[in-house]
Amino acid sequence: MTRPASHWPRALAALAAGLAVAVALSWAWLRAASAGGYEERARAEAVGAVTRLAKAVEQAGAEGDAARAALSAWQADQPAGTVGRLVIVSGARLEGSTDPRDVGERAAPRRLLRDEKWAYDQAQRLRGIVLENAEQGFARAEVEVERLEGRYALGAPVRKDGAVVGAVEVDRPAKPPPAAPGVPAALAAVALPLLALLPLRRAAARRGPALAAALVLYAAGVGGFAAWALRLAGGGGEGVRALGLSAAVGLALVLFVALGGAARARAALVRHRVAYAYAIPAMLGMLVLVFFPFLYGVVLSFTGQTLYNTSAPLTEIWVGLQNYVEILRTFAFRMPDGSPSFYWTLAFNVIWTVTNVSIGVSVGLVLALILNTKGLAFRPIYRVLLILPWAMPNYITALIWRGMFHRQFGVVNYARMLFGLEPLSWFDETFTSYLTALATNGWLSFPFMMVVSLGALQSIPADLYEAARVDGASRWQQFKAITLPSLKPALVPAVILSVVWTFNMFNIIFLVTGGDPSGTTEILITQAYKYAFQQYRYGYAAAYSTVIFLILLAYGVFQNRVTRATEGI
Amino acid sequence: MASRREERIPHWILHAVLVVMVLVAVYPLLWVISIALSGGQSLALASLPADPGKLDLLRAVIPWPERFSAANFTAVFRDQPFGRWMLNSVIVSAATTVLGVFLASTAAYAFSRFRFPGRRAGMMSFLVSQMFPGTLMLIPLYIIIVTWLGLGSTRTGLVLMYATTAIPFCVWMLKGYFDTIPRELEEAAIIEGAGPARVFWTVVVPLAKPAIAITALFSFMTAWNEFILAATFMDKEEMYTAPVGLRFFVGGFSQQWGYFAAGSIIVSIPVVVLFLYLQKYLVSGLTAGSVKG
Repeated sequence: MTRPASHWPRALAALAAGLAVAVALSWAWLRAASAGGYEERARAEAVGAVTRLAKAVEQAGAEGDAARAALSAWQADQPAGTVGRLVIVSGARLEGSTDPRDVGERAAPRRLLRDEKWAYDQAQRLRGIVLENAEQGFARAEVEVERLEGRYALGAPVRKDGAVVGAVEVDRPAKPPPAAPGVPAALAAVALPLLALLPLRRAAARRGPALAAALVLYAAGVGGFAAWALRLAGGGGEGVRALGLSAAVGLALVLFVALGGAARARAALVRHRVAYAYAIPAMLGMLVLVFFPFLYGVVLSFTGQTLYNTSAPLTEIWVGLQNYVEILRTFAFRMPDGSPSFYWTLAFNVIWTVTNVSIGVSVGLVLALILNTKGLAFRPIYRVLLILPWAMPNYITALIWRGMFHRQFGVVNYARMLFGLEPLSWFDETFTSYLTALATNGWLSFPFMMVVSLGALQSIPADLYEAARVDGASRWQQFKAITLPSLKPALVPAVILSVVWTFNMFNIIFLVTGGDPSGTTEILITQAYKYAFQQYRYGYAAAYSTVIFLILLAYGVFQNRVTRATEGI
Repeated sequence: MASRREERIPHWILHAVLVVMVLVAVYPLLWVISIALSGGQSLALASLPADPGKLDLLRAVIPWPERFSAANFTAVFRDQPFGRWMLNSVIVSAATTVLGVFLASTAAYAFSRFRFPGRRAGMMSFLVSQMFPGTLMLIPLYIIIVTWLGLGSTRTGLVLMYATTAIPFCVWMLKGYFDTIPRELEEAAIIEGAGPARVFWTVVVPLAKPAIAITALFSFMTAWNEFILAATFMDKEEMYTAPVGLRFFVGGFSQQWGYFAAGSIIVSIPVVVLFLYLQKYLVSGLTAGSVKG
């Protein structure tokens, strides 16, 4: 018997892989956060400071010693180097200032000097904006912010008795973004625990101790790195979240490698390398362009991403289940934002699917039965002509029907007038709008059912009918006992397929009704598209789409059961 | 006892039903052809007087242009960049076909001939991926294709997306066909010393030609008829594909119905011909795939 292999190398590999991934992830994350999100927060903080100052000065009466006292009280809480000025428009006065240069001769209150004209101009500008906003109902920003080299210059209007009398002007140094841990720190966090594991070759030879050692050292390495990073950044919520997430990813990797998953995966890869070589190009493509986008979309559904915050890290705009709650909460006809509620759209979607598939199946079946009549002349010609609607690209079909239903020049309204009816504005009423889409989709979907049924009908052996006739069965009895059961194996999958197609028939709804009137004829998929690409609410649209996926998945599981059940018969 | 004579429906009734249905099926197509041949951009088949009588209305409903002109067909190429859009569509569809068939046939071969860990999961994941709503994928795809890969408004980006989205259907279909090819032929080749790659390219692929042809045509039609992805990713007018261009003629405030009709006919003829030639295979492929699911 050979001695069982030591678990120490595996623990070492697990620790190395887990630490490298966790530290690299959090390092990159912190880097990105310190560069991107920081500027936005600093700006918001600066705006908050100038707004507070304006409030304080207004409460102190906007002028005189009280206002100057408010200014210096405000100054006490500000970072060093901050300068605040209070400018009064009437008389172009500098009412108060915390600028260290404004002492002695220049001490406030005094008239503004020639080289301080910009301060007067800014106060006037702000007064203009406030007046305009009040008169014309605009909502232009009433705080001016300018990002200069190393500092912010801000201005906010000061009101007295409801009218703007002046402005506070603030010059505030911009702090450099907090430091993120450098490369040496990251390397140390990976290397030190590994070095610590090196001498434990004996102690960690068996499975249990090896795993324990790897876990403890992993925790030490990641924990140490996190503590260092948080100290550098001076705390902060999303930093902790980022570190926690990468630590979890790394931990999963440690466990995977340490428990032998990686070794087994490698063995399988080597043993089945030919099979994997064939499967990998397609799988890789699917992974990158189908499965990853899907997962990313699901992650997006938990965020409040819109067009305007696409550069923000996802942890910062994380909203949890809020999107789902918003979608599923409204039971009324319309959402608060005016779009139709999810339940209305779902109900419409179900009605749309059921009516379309029923029409397709019944028309297709009847035509197939007729075309299957023996001795009927011109059958091949009828068949080809009846398939044409299915052969046309469906976006062209949709645009053609949209044109035919045109209020003024559409053929359908001319035909109505021919029979003495009034022309209709088809897209102004939910019901008539629905009819246009139904007509279009019915037109393009019956040939599929017809072809499927015809194929099944032709495969029924003629002697079955012969035998039935000999036994004296009526035509209806033959239909029930022979035709329908033989159609079932072909029709059931065809119906299942066409339910999925119709449920998601984006082109027809999008191009024919476009949801008119006011979104009532949207189906779920077109509604999701509108949220994403007309309202730019990416996170919300992703949540909406995820709900659609869950509905389809439930349907898929259900149909799988049904087909199994019918196959058993 | 009832009479033994069949209670048959007279053939003229069947013909009547079929003729009505054929008229319904063909009318929109005749409508689009008449508009294309009318030479104008109007949506109406006939220009009507202010107070039209029955005859005028009849004229407006019958799909027969008032005068014939090929002006729309020449103008879409001369005055509009339709030729460019067609070229884009041809390139994208051809590249999608080549890439899609390569990816699908190799993968289908692996799934058909080898038993390996992840095989069942792979096939199931292909099925489930058919339920992913397109809107969920669009934003992440946009990030990957445009932001990360820098392939916005390029044909390469579209080809990559089309080829991968066609994979699941093609793999299921080809796998079904490969399953029916007897293994003995491959084993004979292996005994003669052929490696796995030789076996695949010289034995399996030639035998599966019919199925591969269908797959190729399916990939081609997917790319040729696709509208949403192309509309989302192709921002520049000169990079439009034919579907996006056709929508450009009649979408929004543009009402160039003559151009649209002429373009539609040019775009449709190849797919309609292919489709009529192919449809029986397509149906058997579709239903067979879903039964096995």
